[in-house]
Amino acid sequence: MAEGLRRRGPRPTGEAVAQLPAGTAGSFLVPYIVMLIVEGMPLLYLELAVGQRMRQGSIGAWRTISPYLSGVGVASVVVSFFLSMYYNVINAWAFWYLFHSFQDPLPWSVCPVNGNRTGYDEECEKATSTQYFWYRKTLNISPSIQENGAVQWEPALCLILAWLLVYLCILRGTESTGKVVYFTASLPYCVLLIYLIRGLTLHGATNGLAYMFTPKMEQLANPKAWINAATQIFFSLGLGFGSLIAFASYNEPSNDCQKHAIIVSLLNSSTSIFASVVTFSIYGFKATFNYESCLNKVILLLTNSFDLEDGFLTASNLEQVKGYLASAYPSKYNEVFPQIKNCSLESELDTAVQGTGLAFIVYTEAIKNMEVSQLWSVLYFFMLLMLGIGSMLGNTAAILTPLTDSKAISSYLPKEAISGLVCFINCAIGMVFTTEAGNYWFDIFNDYAATLSLLLIVLVETVAVCYLYGLRRFESDLRAMTGRKLNWYWKAMWAGVSPLLIVSLFVFYLSDYIMTGTLRYQAWDASQGQLVTKDYPPYALAIIGLLVASSTMCIPLVALGTFITRRLKRGDTAPRA
Amino acid sequence: MQRHKRFLYQRYPNVEEVGMPSAHRISHVLLCNVTQRVSFWFVVTDPSKNHTLPAVEIQSAIRMNRNRINNAFFLNDQTLEFLRIPSTLAPPTDPPVPIWIIIFGVIFCIVIVATMLLILSGIQQHRRKNEGPSEMEDTEDKCENTITIENGIPCDPLDMKGGHINDAFMTEDERLTPL
Repeated sequence: MAEGLRRRGPRPTGEAVAQLPAGTAGSFLVPYIVMLIVEGMPLLYLELAVGQRMRQGSIGAWRTISPYLSGVGVASVVVSFFLSMYYNVINAWAFWYLFHSFQDPLPWSVCPVNGNRTGYDEECEKATSTQYFWYRKTLNISPSIQENGAVQWEPALCLILAWLLVYLCILRGTESTGKVVYFTASLPYCVLLIYLIRGLTLHGATNGLAYMFTPKMEQLANPKAWINAATQIFFSLGLGFGSLIAFASYNEPSNDCQKHAIIVSLLNSSTSIFASVVTFSIYGFKATFNYESCLNKVILLLTNSFDLEDGFLTASNLEQVKGYLASAYPSKYNEVFPQIKNCSLESELDTAVQGTGLAFIVYTEAIKNMEVSQLWSVLYFFMLLMLGIGSMLGNTAAILTPLTDSKAISSYLPKEAISGLVCFINCAIGMVFTTEAGNYWFDIFNDYAATLSLLLIVLVETVAVCYLYGLRRFESDLRAMTGRKLNWYWKAMWAGVSPLLIVSLFVFYLSDYIMTGTLRYQAWDASQGQLVTKDYPPYALAIIGLLVASSTMCIPLVALGTFITRRLKRGDTAPRA
Repeated sequence: MQRHKRFLYQRYPNVEEVGMPSAHRISHVLLCNVTQRVSFWFVVTDPSKNHTLPAVEIQSAIRMNRNRINNAFFLNDQTLEFLRIPSTLAPPTDPPVPIWIIIFGVIFCIVIVATMLLILSGIQQHRRKNEGPSEMEDTEDKCENTITIENGIPCDPLDMKGGHINDAFMTEDERLTPL
């Protein structure tokens, strides 16, 4: 059972692969490493130590520290439930792309022709073919979140398949999950290695790598970069989900969890950096390819308009010739000028794509330009699927463990039925994400379901261990258990730096929300072929509030409930002698 | 890299297919405005060199024979362009059943079969477990009448809770002193 939960640690999630370059591209390394040392490692060690000391799952462990804190465990379960609801949709999309990779040519590399076959489809012309395939063929996205549309049967089928696969893996309980997770965690490393070799040999990969490793000072000053790095560390280490505590509770008491914590976090971060090297080399290839085709289009346009000799215009003399043409044929140049695009490699590298769009748009665009693109496409989406299924197994295990452990439910139903029921409920709710507006709801869940709640849970955990249970008491417990003295670094981090950091992250989120006044989202405009920013309608804002509140309110509500029941009990029973 | 090239038009289309007399020769094609760009304008005169043929007829002739013209120069629609004659794009090949459904069906069936197998084997294990303890209960019934006593303590109370709760230790509530 321990192995099944162990994998929560070093886990290059699909999000890790997908979110790295978004918005913080060139400067992500520095905040990432700083956040790992200051936040990731201490908090990981704390959770492992708590689990090993209390020897119970997350709800029981916090109840042991203080009876008013079992809400922390409940909040973790609620967050895991939300996560499993929306996360499997990513696997459904990965299945969709995987099934479509067995065609020649790849369906996202060519635009479909329009009605009278004189040109390409209009929406596809304005956007690129990969964007068209994603927004129109995969999602069939509606222009705004209000227009719900119907359930699309193709993604719905893929979602059902994804949930069947998850059910198959968790059917037998965590022993079988453990074996599957070994497979799903090791295979992506192999694929990443193959991609590393392919990526580094691509033309233009060095541009991407140079972009990744040069820190940009103005981006480092932006707190958004640090926030993203912190959230990234939280998610990829699996802090606050309760599974680390459950894992550690199966360890021997004398186990050296400090060593484990350091190894796991270093392994995790090196995997992330490894994945980001691959990502950036492919990113650089795509940017260079787009830059060169943009240049070629400009050259062609000028050659055609001015009837120049073939091969006269090249990338190197383009600027000079443009100047010459502007001076020699000013009127004609002014006609042509609006169509001439300013091609820049920097702007291609800077195009930040948000969230899941990165995995599905940018990568597919890069893959379609490689040779034997079907093979690379199959490999890539297979890897994405492995990562996604691995994450799903961890999530569903976090939900199922308290359900199967509670005697009330497990006496009525066998564990196969409980797992089946959980999968069925999640699948039914997940159908919302396959409607035409489904991607907007997915973004809501992706941005708000887990981030704030996780921060709060980890903050409460740290404060509870340091101040409620007592740092000295915990330290002496650890020394009695493992025989090792607690380093001053961990004490300083747990008592001071990490809680302060989390509080400042909270403050930033709140101030960001208050300053912008309302929350916005990116909607796809089919007529323009690009994303536009829109405001959320009130009912969407209400659902966001509900999402955040339902997991964070668990902690005070359960504390209140425990207080009241204790009061009643104390009132009923006679005082003990 | 695709470049538009307008090539020197040296051969004459086979206008017999368009229903025109085949007395036309290269000399009936007149070029003008030849540029460095390898592009030019041309007109076709009729054999008597009295008048030029209307553009519409030439355009339809080119439309029909586009493939042959392209092949003659080893070019294609992207590299040889006729102004104002848009090329017809090839229709996409649509297989009768989309390929992705076939692959989906295969994997779906595999997953369903595997799930059924696991569920059935789980049910079988359950049944075996239920049969096992019922045999044990028969033998226990025979021993029920005799209560074994060891050291003055009857053995029964120690067995009743099946080892789940050990009464020798305190219950959970009393482990911590109340706040």
